[in-house]
Amino acid sequence: MTFQKADLQNGLTVIGELNPDARSMAAGYFVRTGSRDETPEINGASHFLEHMMFKGTERRTPEDVNREFDDMGAQYNAFTSEENTVYYGAVLPEHQEHVIDLLTDMMRPALRESDFDLERNVILEEIAMYQDRPRFSVFDYARQAFYPGHPLGFSVLGTAESIGKLQREQMYAYWSRRYASSNLFLALTGNYDWERAVRQVKHLTGHWRPVEASRDLCAPAGAATVRVIQNEKFQQAHLAFVFPGVAAQSEERFAAEVVAEAIGAADGSRFYWKLIEPGRAETARLYHSEEDGAGQFFVYAACSPASAQEIADAVREVLAEAMDKGLTADEIERARRKIAAGMVLEGETPFGRLLHVGFDWQYRRALKPLSEVVDRILAVTPAEVEALLARRPFAAGALVALGPITELR
Amino acid sequence: MQVARSEFYVVTLPNGMHLVAEHIHGVRSAAVHFLVPAGATTDPVGRDGACGILEGMLFRGAGSRDARQLSDALDALGLQRSGGPELEHIALGGALLADDLGLALTLYADILRRPHLADGQFPPERDLALMRLRRLDDNPMEKLFVELRRAYFPGPYGRSVYGAEESLAALTAAEVRADYGRRFHPEGTILGVAGRFEWETLSETVHRLFGDWQGQAPPPPSPEVEGRLRYRHIPHESAQEHIGVAYPAVPITAPDYYPGRMAVEVLSGGMSARLFTEVREKRGLCYAVRAVYQTVRGAGLVMAYAGSTPDRCHGTVEVLLRELERLQEGVTEEEVYRARTGLLSALIMQSEASRPRAQFIARDQYLLGQVRTIEEIREAVTAVTPDDIVDYLRRHPVGGFTIVTLGPRELEIA
Repeated sequence: MTFQKADLQNGLTVIGELNPDARSMAAGYFVRTGSRDETPEINGASHFLEHMMFKGTERRTPEDVNREFDDMGAQYNAFTSEENTVYYGAVLPEHQEHVIDLLTDMMRPALRESDFDLERNVILEEIAMYQDRPRFSVFDYARQAFYPGHPLGFSVLGTAESIGKLQREQMYAYWSRRYASSNLFLALTGNYDWERAVRQVKHLTGHWRPVEASRDLCAPAGAATVRVIQNEKFQQAHLAFVFPGVAAQSEERFAAEVVAEAIGAADGSRFYWKLIEPGRAETARLYHSEEDGAGQFFVYAACSPASAQEIADAVREVLAEAMDKGLTADEIERARRKIAAGMVLEGETPFGRLLHVGFDWQYRRALKPLSEVVDRILAVTPAEVEALLARRPFAAGALVALGPITELR
Repeated sequence: MQVARSEFYVVTLPNGMHLVAEHIHGVRSAAVHFLVPAGATTDPVGRDGACGILEGMLFRGAGSRDARQLSDALDALGLQRSGGPELEHIALGGALLADDLGLALTLYADILRRPHLADGQFPPERDLALMRLRRLDDNPMEKLFVELRRAYFPGPYGRSVYGAEESLAALTAAEVRADYGRRFHPEGTILGVAGRFEWETLSETVHRLFGDWQGQAPPPPSPEVEGRLRYRHIPHESAQEHIGVAYPAVPITAPDYYPGRMAVEVLSGGMSARLFTEVREKRGLCYAVRAVYQTVRGAGLVMAYAGSTPDRCHGTVEVLLRELERLQEGVTEEEVYRARTGLLSALIMQSEASRPRAQFIARDQYLLGQVRTIEEIREAVTAVTPDDIVDYLRRHPVGGFTIVTLGPRELEIA
């Protein structure tokens, strides 16, 4: 594995993790933008824009974009989160030039009015789809409750109202601010030709200009609150807790991963033994999400409506016990092994490596081989875990319950 | 075309269990995937969903270990577990760093052959099964697929792994043990292994761990479609109307399987394929729309899905059905090229990772009685012409739909 990096004159950076033994390559543009960079008036614009980026450029019609990806047999898509928008494609090495040309061209979209109006319907359908899926929508409500009125609590999809009102000009203005050459970068993984890639990107992006694209990194402390969203359409109670976590830039993130795995993995975790194995709850998980300047721990639990209070209390009890008494050396060891093995498996394909390489650069401006990250996970010490838990991250947070229930403490 | 260098190994133990393995160069991992013929189709009569409870019970203590010791032992290997109850099988396995492959197989030998299935472990497992069943109501897209298959296959192939309230409530711990004794046997069980391993060692380990296992599972039912429904509406208070359409296709063993498979790629291979283009991109009628080719032993079917809010759902159904029927009017050379490229490219990229390969080769062994090499698939796919697809569709016209809708509005299906 060799790392490469080129800083172009226009402010654009290209990074790569070369693996000449790979049978494929992956390319992705990582844009430092998401719902936390929006205002209430344009909530959902980042995600709507991501859809519009597939709708053609000066050189390409909307049909061209999808067809060209399919012509290459690419595995491709894009996603938008609270703070990242990523466009990616994995192809066989012979399509390197084409996939880079296509992705790069897409970053300068046509944003045609007629496409905009049509795609608005697709977004509204996507919003409706998630309304039918409480195990996803409850996270939106939970973030909102934890960061009330703050962009960190905005929904990625936006609301039917904000999307209904959004104008093409507002989206264009947002794009101009956020998709400047200095606010995104291109990452390559797998088996590619570096010299050729850099030459090509330089040529294609010669007219791109950097623009100062700032982000408000002040994160509010997070509200300690309980909110019940009664909805008799649902059969189960869906509970989501949000607690303060660890920033993507912090070395503590490794300990946070171990804590989440040991307490809330699908199998063999504390939640599993306390809640799942005895048949009390259908699901109970703890996740850690490292984000720019501030992270969160999320708990998701699903159970019968009648036991919502019991399960909420049991979740709190498990978390309190972990803070009071810590984790055992065995638990830490198993969690480290599971995380490390998962990373190795995912890292076997260029496609699987792309997001790790990209986010290492996005958050930490670091180029780290997989083996180094795996070694770091395996080296997480009980003292590190203890230090994190000693800060009592689960002492105060937001709880949202969605389902056929009326009250919860 | 550059594919991962790999070598295949196949052996059938004297007791009838199949071991199929693919060595992949350059990976550090190994994946194991057991297929035991104990899925929903062979659940005891009146006990739909027994497979899900049995699968859960297997992990609640086996061999010399209780539930916690077993779980800790699997986790100590860093095993990334996968599998679960399926239509035709209970699938068990996972992926891990290759050095520990032998240890993982030792644990799985206990899980398959020596599960405790203790009385005390039964009530919580049944509670979980009931909760999983109710969860399905909170995921209407998944529920739609369950109901679509039920409408398409009136017999055992229409069963759901989630079962039903009454059948789960009627089940007892003693029945689970009897069911295990009836369905868990080496004959018909397949073990797929992919990644890094020494064949001699692997073969010896599997013979040692499973060689003296005896018995034969009952014969599986066949996928009858006689009497399948034409239209069913399931009222559901959802924001979207969830629409499913199923129609027959040939099984994977048929000589014209590849033209049939490619026809579905033309419909729904990538984002430039017909369904996505016509229903979503040109008309903005939905967010999710797709068609998938499903293969079970002895049958194939195509299942199409779209979800739209009530105001748009009539338009969605209309365009969806029109596109399905329009297929037999012909496909272009370009569409076939893209279908071929998409299938082959996905296959090559998959060839780099252990877990999908272990699942793929185990499934091939089950459906075909042999494992297809990537080269074999490449040749078959490359040989398909637009005319082959049209000929296929002439022999097997798209139509005779089974349609299920789940949502606030019943459709008028002419």
